[in-house]
Amino acid sequence: MSDAAVEKWSDEQVALVDLIDRVIGGGVVITGDLVLGVAGVDLVYLGLRLVLAPAHEVEQSVPLGRRLA
Amino acid sequence: MLLYAVVPADATAPETRGIFGQRLETIRGALVTVLVEESFEPPRAASDESQAFAKIICDIAMTTPMLPIRFPTMLTTRSAVLAELQSNEPAWRRRLAELDGLSEVVIRAQWPEADRDLGPASDSSGTTYLVNRAAAIHRRDASVAEISELVRGWAREIKVLHSQQGVRIACLVANADIPQLRNAVMTWQQACNGSKVMVSGPWPAFSFVDQAVVSI
Repeated sequence: MSDAAVEKWSDEQVALVDLIDRVIGGGVVITGDLVLGVAGVDLVYLGLRLVLAPAHEVEQSVPLGRRLA
Repeated sequence: MLLYAVVPADATAPETRGIFGQRLETIRGALVTVLVEESFEPPRAASDESQAFAKIICDIAMTTPMLPIRFPTMLTTRSAVLAELQSNEPAWRRRLAELDGLSEVVIRAQWPEADRDLGPASDSSGTTYLVNRAAAIHRRDASVAEISELVRGWAREIKVLHSQQGVRIACLVANADIPQLRNAVMTWQQACNGSKVMVSGPWPAFSFVDQAVVSI
């Protein structure tokens, strides 16, 4: 959610933007494991960090050369 | 299942229903409890879901100390949640105790020329753009330092948040001190020529669940 036009918003709208931003950009980050399988046979094991972050945080953490076009 | 919050071990499940309409359940460890909602489908990536989640988190925070869990975090089984809980509960319990009675307040400061300084400079030279950008960054740093100094008396910790315009700073504040901090910020705004300052919150301490990022 962009905050570029916040100057024109009401205090309530700004508060809502801040709250939603913190809900998806803050909080405890959980690590987890996922096993992908077919017909009961485990095929792929992934060690996951279940991170959902605003796009700008992802952009900052991924080196330029590795970003998808 | 969708994870909501880490709460003290003896906390009871709130009456609140989750975003899928189910009662929230507790998964208890020795030191902390995790509040979850049974669901086999992930939430939709829509703002109304995140707003509903935010409201539930705020409701829970009214009744118990808590660490909100980032939305949307899902684990497939209770045992997966329990395993995660057991590997983190000493740190979570310590942080829960540290955050008891504290809330997060977000301060925004914006100034009219922020757009011009940081935006594309299609009608000016590269040198002009760089000079404007350096000035904007200098002003941003100065504002961060000024606000940090302003809230020093009340904020236990601060964190500078991403902002496309101006500055945005999260402060961890004792609930009893929030009115004073708000008044100090509003008084400061009157002395800032042309700047717009806004304070939102109090919220659960979303930005401070892990560790002190900046101690003041």
